[in-house]
Amino acid sequence: MAELPKAPAPSAGQATSWRRNRKLDQWIAFWSVPFFFNLFGLVFVPLSWMMPPRSPSSSTPHIVGFMHSHNLLIACVILTLAYGLAPVSNACYLMQVKRMSVSPAFRYSMMIGAITGAIVGMLFPMFCFGLGAFRPGYSPSVLTMLYDFGYLAFIGSLGCFCVMWMAFGLAIILDENNILPKWLGYYTIWQYVTELMAAPVWIAKSGPFAWNGLMTFWFAMMLYVSWQFIVYLCIYKAIKNQPEAELDNAPPEPHPGALEITSKTSA
Amino acid sequence: MTDVAEGSATDVDRSQRAAGARGHVPGDSSMWFFVIGDLLIFGVYFVGYMYFRGQHHELFLKSQARLNLDIGAINTVMLLTSSLFVVLGTEAARAGNRAAALQRFWIALAFGAAFPLLKMFEWIPEISAGVTPGKNLFFMYYYVMTGMHLCHVALGLVIMCFILRNLKTSKAPKISFVETGATYWHMVDVLWLVLFALLYLMR
Repeated sequence: MAELPKAPAPSAGQATSWRRNRKLDQWIAFWSVPFFFNLFGLVFVPLSWMMPPRSPSSSTPHIVGFMHSHNLLIACVILTLAYGLAPVSNACYLMQVKRMSVSPAFRYSMMIGAITGAIVGMLFPMFCFGLGAFRPGYSPSVLTMLYDFGYLAFIGSLGCFCVMWMAFGLAIILDENNILPKWLGYYTIWQYVTELMAAPVWIAKSGPFAWNGLMTFWFAMMLYVSWQFIVYLCIYKAIKNQPEAELDNAPPEPHPGALEITSKTSA
Repeated sequence: MTDVAEGSATDVDRSQRAAGARGHVPGDSSMWFFVIGDLLIFGVYFVGYMYFRGQHHELFLKSQARLNLDIGAINTVMLLTSSLFVVLGTEAARAGNRAAALQRFWIALAFGAAFPLLKMFEWIPEISAGVTPGKNLFFMYYYVMTGMHLCHVALGLVIMCFILRNLKTSKAPKISFVETGATYWHMVDVLWLVLFALLYLMR
């Protein structure tokens, strides 16, 4: 991802060319986010109807029919291809957190939280649902287990992201460089506390605390989606306002002195 | 928690203190953003609880009778007393009486810290008697909502420790930080009052 800013030899008069934009790496990471989420939405909702989550107390024939559907296999193939976009889209948050005057422990926690969260929350369900569609011969009891495994990993793992977003929220609140607004830090705290609400999905099989329930899924999702939009807008502003001289990849060509000015926290 | 953000606010505070407390929002305004949002989120939980309570009225009433009302009531008194000492401590800090402020915040912390301890005396016998979140919808609500509230209490106790450190070590204690922490603690108190009424008392 970071290879793009190797700008070509400077050609006169083309200073504004997009390829010479020093924030190109950040913008690519940034625009991968809506691409990723739109793809995610399309695959999960209209293609496979994996989401909104099916009921944990569905009957076995329903589960078998769902696990054998061709669309589910196609969805899993698309997700396999798109899985790598998760690190790219996380890079746009991490690059801004790096500018904050907080301990690097925050961004390392974010990074590891994103990795563990993506493995459990995306890779595991993908394998479970993909496996069901892969071989038609599996017995219904195996398919039911894969179905439970897939949904529990997807929804019950929200706690993995909890630490990640906790580090993000605290970094915003403690930051002295005012990279992102303080209220966003507090907003992030609500968001991650509601992710903890995913714990009861391991107990309840129906009602508001089941994995397709009002409290554990719908309310948490509503808060999460609106929060994601707002974080995204704030990150856009932060990238826009970042001084060019502060960029890690600022090439030394125009004024070698400009490189001296670096952010408070560097790699 | 937010002490780093208050640096520029101290000068403002002094003039505000001089001008009297009229028409001034105590503490950091982003904390108010948090408080209002948190109350809205808990509001949604409360509405959800009321809806499902209406659906399973008998079950909720029968389950409610198994709660330990005594510990619930003592905990309410603990939080209210703690909040009272936070008010007194904030007053003392505003008046510049650091020793009194410290003393009152220590008392507030002690009453606040009693809350999670008493909660354990409530939860552990219940859980060992088989009354777990999986028992029925009422107990799921009970453990989830009181558990979320307990997380808020824990965070409040941490904030209170930062207030004590601020009052103890810095030459000019940041009044706005004290107010921010006090605002949060009162929110925890208000949430408990609603939870106590909904889970323990409502018939």
